Amino acid sequence: MFRLNQDRLGWLVSLILFVLVLLPLAAVIVQVLLPGVFFGDWQVGDLGLMLEVFKRPLWLKSLEHSIVLACGTTVLATLLGGTLAMIRSSWKFPSARLLDASVWILLITPSFILAQGWVMFAAGGGIAVKVFGWHWVTPAVFQPAGLIVIMTLSKFPLAYLSVHAAMEWKVEQLSEAARLCGASAIRVWRTIQAPLLLPAFLAGAALVFMDTIGDFGLPASIAAVYRYPTLPYSIYSALYTSPIRFDMAGVLSFYLVVLISLAMLLQTYAVKSSRFDFLSARAVPSVPKKAGKLTPYLTIANIAFLLVVIGIPIGANVLMSLFKTQSKGLSLSNLTFSHYRELLDGKTELLTGLWRSLLISSSSALLGLLIGLGIAFVLIYSQFRFKRAIEMMSLVTLAVPGVVLGIGYIFVWNQAWLQSIGLLLYGKPAILVLAAIAGAIPIITRMMVGAMAKVPKSLLDAAQVQGGSLISRVRFILVPLIRGALLSAALAAFGSSVFDLAVNSILFPPNFVTLPVTINKAFEDLNFGYASAATVLGGGIVILIILLLELLLRRKAARK
Amino acid sequence: MQKLQMKKSGIAILMLAVLMIVMTACGGANDNNGNANASSPVAEPTPSVSASPSEEAASTEPVTEDEGTLTVYLNDFDDIIPALFEAATGLKVNVVAGNGAEIMSRVQAEKGNPHWDVVWLDSMPSIYGLGQEGQLLEGWAPENAANLTDAYKAYVPSNSTYFPTGAHAAGVIVYNTNEYTKEQAPKTWKDFASDTFKDDIGMADPAVAAPAFPFVAKFFSDLQMEEGQKFFDSLFSNGMKVYPKNPNVAAALTAGEIKAAALQESNAYSLVKAGEPIGIIWPEEGAPASVRVAAIQKDSKNMNAAKAFINFLLDPATQQQLIDQGEESYFEPSVGGVNAKPDRDPNAKLVAADAAWASEHEAEIKQWFADKAVK
Repeated sequence: MFRLNQDRLGWLVSLILFVLVLLPLAAVIVQVLLPGVFFGDWQVGDLGLMLEVFKRPLWLKSLEHSIVLACGTTVLATLLGGTLAMIRSSWKFPSARLLDASVWILLITPSFILAQGWVMFAAGGGIAVKVFGWHWVTPAVFQPAGLIVIMTLSKFPLAYLSVHAAMEWKVEQLSEAARLCGASAIRVWRTIQAPLLLPAFLAGAALVFMDTIGDFGLPASIAAVYRYPTLPYSIYSALYTSPIRFDMAGVLSFYLVVLISLAMLLQTYAVKSSRFDFLSARAVPSVPKKAGKLTPYLTIANIAFLLVVIGIPIGANVLMSLFKTQSKGLSLSNLTFSHYRELLDGKTELLTGLWRSLLISSSSALLGLLIGLGIAFVLIYSQFRFKRAIEMMSLVTLAVPGVVLGIGYIFVWNQAWLQSIGLLLYGKPAILVLAAIAGAIPIITRMMVGAMAKVPKSLLDAAQVQGGSLISRVRFILVPLIRGALLSAALAAFGSSVFDLAVNSILFPPNFVTLPVTINKAFEDLNFGYASAATVLGGGIVILIILLLELLLRRKAARK
Repeated sequence: MQKLQMKKSGIAILMLAVLMIVMTACGGANDNNGNANASSPVAEPTPSVSASPSEEAASTEPVTEDEGTLTVYLNDFDDIIPALFEAATGLKVNVVAGNGAEIMSRVQAEKGNPHWDVVWLDSMPSIYGLGQEGQLLEGWAPENAANLTDAYKAYVPSNSTYFPTGAHAAGVIVYNTNEYTKEQAPKTWKDFASDTFKDDIGMADPAVAAPAFPFVAKFFSDLQMEEGQKFFDSLFSNGMKVYPKNPNVAAALTAGEIKAAALQESNAYSLVKAGEPIGIIWPEEGAPASVRVAAIQKDSKNMNAAKAFINFLLDPATQQQLIDQGEESYFEPSVGGVNAKPDRDPNAKLVAADAAWASEHEAEIKQWFADKAVK
């Protein structure tokens, strides 16, 4: 009988990742070498293209911009997210839960929506200038440093979650010993707590770096006002030319993969040199202390911060959805609910599209959860030989633009011979589910890894000694211990894939329009109010579903 | 151990259930669509569709039965065309809509195993390129091609790979009426380089926005590469802003960030209709045109329906319906006996770049603009 063991699990998740992530990506990158390989043409391509990146002004600039933007954002977002997480887990203050909720909202809201909000706020004729008269905002935002700040305010949740998860447990005796020896609180933090948190900080930093470097939505939306081409922009312009240059997109994607591999190597190296297995039976769940005198300051600072990071981008979208005409701006006579009425009158395809998107994301979240659980298990507990490769593959979709992955999916899943075995999935809704799983794997895996790292291997080993199979160990020991993280991972995967435009617009089957495609079409047809209303409605429904599930399942878990 | 087995099969069943939900849900949605189509009024189907391709160019191809439902890739009119086509011919059509670049990406990525039968886009140079690659049906002409006006007959390539169904301005001059009076606004494209409009002009980026290419291509084909680059350089040095897509140009214009712009025609008219303070000027020397053309995939398995579709698009009644009901309804029809929108300027003059020239220089021109993005 086939019995799943750690090695077999390793091979299984490798195979899944290979099919879902590596194959499509390789299909695009191989275009550099063999441009016609999928059409039966074995002519070798122009390899000189690989070096073009250092010659063409646009490519060189995009590379430079991508690196500057990603590095700047990584430093700032890690500091911001890490600090917030440390404050949040150290002190109790009334608005702390709002901070958690906002982090989730930012995480699932696609970057192009956040970016559009920022543009509406900060552009020459935007809200900041027209309503508040803050003329300094426009030049302050539309410059490299301004972009880094906006990117930071959108990406810090990744660092926040990573550090916050690591602070859930702590071994007080180390700090107590230091305090007994007369060390000041700051010294304890600097010499004991901070070094122990370093791996979490680094993990957060790596995630921020990858998510930033692959982001197309923000640079594209900002480009409306301020030209700052990045690698994903150049990839799009290679694809949006005719004859389409898949080979150029392949070259640039290759460099993106190289960059994130470097980032991962750096992270691995840093973690190795600073690893302390410190969780022991003496670990206690960390409970935030009363902030005392600090409470009002913390609360005010927190709310002010949220007004900026949530209020500006989401608020601008909400305002936009209520305007009759864009040029009249904020005045009572220019406000209307007509865009929302239009959404709900049933004539539009929007509700069908929303329903399909919800189905696709929920199935991909569930399947993705199973796969992510397997990947994280292999990464944390197994001695599997190719762990590094698995880790790499599990993160790559974060950095590679969705359109590249989408085109790779066409290459892979549209080969005529697949028809005979019933696997010609291109042109069927199932391919959207596969692509959504690929997109959700990085988030799910990271959250699982974070949670599992805290469950000592010895617990699982003990069960193994008693004869428990791999599945029973996971089922009866691991899963109950990380139930909360499982739920969070599934919800995050669900939320973030609902709005995934790039993959959807390349892969949706005939007569199968989904929510992001509808929103984008409205935007391209200049129905800004309608597009914003659809975004707000869709986002609102997704958040409601998440809150509802959170409430139902968390409470059930707590009662148990 | 038995309990364990149960757990295992439990997981398997769960996974299967999820898959089933996906399949049935998606399938169900498809059915809904099918029903919606079926319930739309079917007006006397043409007697026999397979008879309609009465090939003018004598073709020896035997008439074969269609294998499935016609699939059309298009960038506009997706909301009304299935019902209109079914009403006219009794045939169903599946549509895949996207912007020009998305559709072309799909077409090219599918090259080994195409899913489309007909492509209908407002980017003639790109479709011309598909024809050059041998992806399109050649040497067949629909009956209704006889309806084409002389100007549009000239757009049909010698190998008849595609047929024009109309054209709109890839760019007209638009201005914010709060900023300029009609007299003050720019009147010719050359005005964009004048000091009066320094830093106040915008346009879409041809490297990213599909409709912006036919716009710049006209200037390049008239002036040739070098002079064309000089012309656009003079606009850039006059502080012209380049936005990724036409909607961004429109948003910047209504927000007052720029005061005048080159904007795609239907975008311009829909701003006016939405009550935005926008004025439209058709320059006397003509507005560069985006010609919408339709072509058939060479190995289409639904050849009869595909031919019927092209013929249907060249029917004056169809083009009139597109103008009366469509969202992208501001265009110049390609066949006689059709009235354009009453509020469309009757003296609108469209000029299109030669498709072969534009297709040949497309990569070069787009690269030049993309590289400009870094300056």
